[in-house]
Amino acid sequence: MGKQLPRSRSIIHWLIAISVVFLFVSSWWMLSLPLPSENFTYRQLPFQLHKNIGITVLVFVFCMLAFKIFDKEPPVQSNKTRLQKLASLDHLLTYLLLVVSCISGYLSSSYSGWETTLWWLVDLPSWSEENDDLNVLFSNIHLWTCWALLAVVALHVSAALYHAFKNDGIVDKMFRL
Amino acid sequence: MSEVRDKKIDIKWIGVVAVLFGILLLANHGNELLKQLVITPLSAAELGIPADCRADELEEENISLLECRLMVANVQITLASSPDWFRPVMLLLASLGSLFAVLSVYVGISLFSHSKTKPLLVKICFGALLSTDLLMFIAASNTGPLLRAHYLSSILLWLFVHATLFSAVIVGLNREPKGID
Repeated sequence: MGKQLPRSRSIIHWLIAISVVFLFVSSWWMLSLPLPSENFTYRQLPFQLHKNIGITVLVFVFCMLAFKIFDKEPPVQSNKTRLQKLASLDHLLTYLLLVVSCISGYLSSSYSGWETTLWWLVDLPSWSEENDDLNVLFSNIHLWTCWALLAVVALHVSAALYHAFKNDGIVDKMFRL
Repeated sequence: MSEVRDKKIDIKWIGVVAVLFGILLLANHGNELLKQLVITPLSAAELGIPADCRADELEEENISLLECRLMVANVQITLASSPDWFRPVMLLLASLGSLFAVLSVYVGISLFSHSKTKPLLVKICFGALLSTDLLMFIAASNTGPLLRAHYLSSILLWLFVHATLFSAVIVGLNREPKGID
């Protein structure tokens, strides 16, 4: 049976889940909006919101990692089953892909010359002048890490459903508010 | 001769499914809300301003000149086929839908963890989700063919998902001997 996690970790987990799904859905339709220009400003709000939520997700992920490091968790079993090893790998990949996709998205935006104002309050620094090559590079990294993230999230959700329907108590620690 | 099989509906399962669909629905309604806020009447596309398709932007986005022009046409389609009442109605329904989706995630987690949730709140939550879908379906079906093609199939899918969850909740809660406390 899984031990109950602190409420803060459970809440952050669900906030990340909601944000990531929102970001996927928004990215699919906002790229169909007209290219930005002086007259066509349709992309402004969705892109700013996408970046704001993405940066906030990154903060949440670092909070989760900090909680994981500083919370006293039971020692890891040395004789893990194949499924347990797969679950650990999936968790590791999820964190890694979340971090890389968020950072690459921010860098891509930064090199594209578009400024980012976090929640319309704080101007985030631009790392350099506009650079098309680096913009394309980070944009591609963002794209591919996001597709990979979708795959590991699908695996994560499938595993959660498997344990929930099996009723073995594994997912109980996350289902609390 | 009918025999009611006494197979128990596990309310925990409904909770898991409600959380999963609640998160997807929140993304769906949240993006619909954003779409309605962004695609506004009398904006550049509706005023007939030609698309600004710079070669470097096309290369960066990996799209053709035709696709760039059609992006503007896509906005024109949405605006041209929306009756005047459609945007405010969808803004209202998407806002309500987002709120109920958040509530369904909360209710789903409560059902799973068997924490104290009032059965009436659970019924109201899923009933509200079903009603929102129904109102959205009625709204979308009263627009032109272009918007109907865009909206109706996904709304219908949500309608069936929420009808299933609502029925499961009603049956599940009625069979729980001591409520869900």
